[in-house]
Amino acid sequence: MSDSPVSDSTLSASTAPGETASVRARPPRGLGLALLASELAILFRRTRTIAMLAALAAVPILIAVAVRVSSSGSSGRGPAFIDQITQNGLFVGVAGLILCIPLFLPLTVGVAAGDTIAGEASHGTLRYLLVAPAGRVRLLIVKFLGTVAFCIAAPLVVVLAGTVIGAILFPLGNVTLLSGDTVSISESLGRALLMSAYVSVSLIGLSAIGLFISTLTDTPVGAMAATIVISVAAQVVGSLDQLAWLHPWLFSYHWLGVVDMLRQPILWSSFGDNAILQLGYVIVFGALAYSRFVTKSILS
Amino acid sequence: MADRSLRRWLPAIVAPIVVIGGALAVPLTAGAAGVPPEKSAQEVLELVGSNEVTALSGTVVQTSELGLPDLSGALSGTGTGGDSASSALELLTGSHTARVYLDEAQGARVQILDSMAERDIIAGPDGVWFYDSSEDTATHLALPDDPTGSAGTDGSQSDATDTVPTPAALAEHFLDAIEPSTAVSVDNTSVVAGRSAYDLVLTPDSADTLIAAVTIAVDSETGLPLSVAVTAKGQSAAAFSVAFSDISFDTPDASLFSFTPPAGATVDEQLPHAYSLSTSANGEHDSHLGDLAKNVTVTGDAWASIVELPVGDLAAGASEESADPSGSASSLLDAATEKVDGGRVLSTSLLNVLLTDDGRILAGSVPVALLQAAAAD
Repeated sequence: MSDSPVSDSTLSASTAPGETASVRARPPRGLGLALLASELAILFRRTRTIAMLAALAAVPILIAVAVRVSSSGSSGRGPAFIDQITQNGLFVGVAGLILCIPLFLPLTVGVAAGDTIAGEASHGTLRYLLVAPAGRVRLLIVKFLGTVAFCIAAPLVVVLAGTVIGAILFPLGNVTLLSGDTVSISESLGRALLMSAYVSVSLIGLSAIGLFISTLTDTPVGAMAATIVISVAAQVVGSLDQLAWLHPWLFSYHWLGVVDMLRQPILWSSFGDNAILQLGYVIVFGALAYSRFVTKSILS
Repeated sequence: MADRSLRRWLPAIVAPIVVIGGALAVPLTAGAAGVPPEKSAQEVLELVGSNEVTALSGTVVQTSELGLPDLSGALSGTGTGGDSASSALELLTGSHTARVYLDEAQGARVQILDSMAERDIIAGPDGVWFYDSSEDTATHLALPDDPTGSAGTDGSQSDATDTVPTPAALAEHFLDAIEPSTAVSVDNTSVVAGRSAYDLVLTPDSADTLIAAVTIAVDSETGLPLSVAVTAKGQSAAAFSVAFSDISFDTPDASLFSFTPPAGATVDEQLPHAYSLSTSANGEHDSHLGDLAKNVTVTGDAWASIVELPVGDLAAGASEESADPSGSASSLLDAATEKVDGGRVLSTSLLNVLLTDDGRILAGSVPVALLQAAAAD
């Protein structure tokens, strides 16, 4: 286990030397579970990760406070979810999640995924990780699983923060679904968790792309920026009617399908289609990352 | 060394091919299993007639390529107020997905799945509900009081189930119109919603109609029409199609057919017999349509028939609409129609509508010239 993850006091740049996992005390053996545990511990103790999760949590909190302060004008501007917040605090988490999908969540995932390999390379720690009997394939898998863990944590933080602040500032009640049916508070909490899971799955394709880009370069900032740009570009392409034939192939195609979890009955096929699409991206970019990483000459 | 490097790049080359190939091939090979026995057109027609499906749930995808101008900009302005004309036009452009639940014993429910929103029509034991999530409005159409109770309920429910826009309902409409002027053939078998189906092709003999062919895919087991595609002359792709993308014949859950409007929603109660008394815009609109139905004249043969609405009623309705402050209805009309001799014409690949200068409306799946000739008669 990581006895001493290096203290990381700097939030800002990824370039500060010694910020990340410099030296893992004992190279782990066995199935790589120890390596994974150490990776997760370093990832979630890193100041940058905590700051990103805190920023995500701030989104629903800002929404809730803004709506609470200016509760006068509830005319039908913006998504219907925001109008419903004043009647039911449980919508805060959902509204926050939907607002975060196009930009904030891909942004944080881009940072987490872009840093995976390039971050170690830029700190000169990649060499030591590979000297240990970890092996390149296993390191790649562990890095990917670490990003997946971040994909799970990020939307969950938004939903939980939103639900808590909504419960504090607004009355709670039964939730009206898009179909007009009403479900109990407990079921609506289950639906919110399901939406969080949907968004986690949605982000996995992007994190595979980020992992691949991260193997291409030794500059983590470049890999992060490229991943984020790709996520924005995919959504721009997705909004152009002239490229409609391409839309089903974009990893962002099903992103807003998260609202299908708010229909009665739940549109499970949407969840399944999304999962298959993301799996395709994981296979393609996982293979690309593998080929690139095992052929890469590690100089740092 | 080069060999080894090449071998390591192999996954990066193979994976995209496998994934893209798989994504393209799976829909094509999904129905490779089980080709149904060959049937003649007559046998397939009998199969449709013997269809006894009483309950189903499925997803219906409707697409239109009618060549209408893009009205989304003009329509967005008319979204409020449940303007039936604009919502009908909206359904004629682009594609829509709806979930359909049918149970003859209980009722029907249609959910039009919009992005970030949903429109529901629920026909159940307590009447017909219409719910729009983007407006958070619910409209309730109560059942007429009927001393015979259950009989009345059954009647209205089957009415409601008939109006559900399933491929079956549309197919019935076309099959009713079969007559000597239509050639019926079974093209081949196809796979719709994962089920093998016979493709019944109706080809009008008439040279006057815009319809080239109507293709109905009939489920080989139950005889239920699974998809209907209407092809216009001069087009290879279907101009209008309604098809199940998945279907199950299990009885849907009974809770789907009962509806309680959510707290906070605007609820509008309407009585079916009270249209003429209703002062709401919708009520007036419907009463217009009711009067119109008596005055409609139909001329021409089945496929090339022309429907004519007389002077007055609708023109009055239209002028009322154009008097509405935004003026959106008239601008919509101007955007969608073009000027021809004797009036304005709304031209699509399947249907032409002529609005004559004296206020009559002629519509039919025929060329504009025939509409003009009919108007001159």
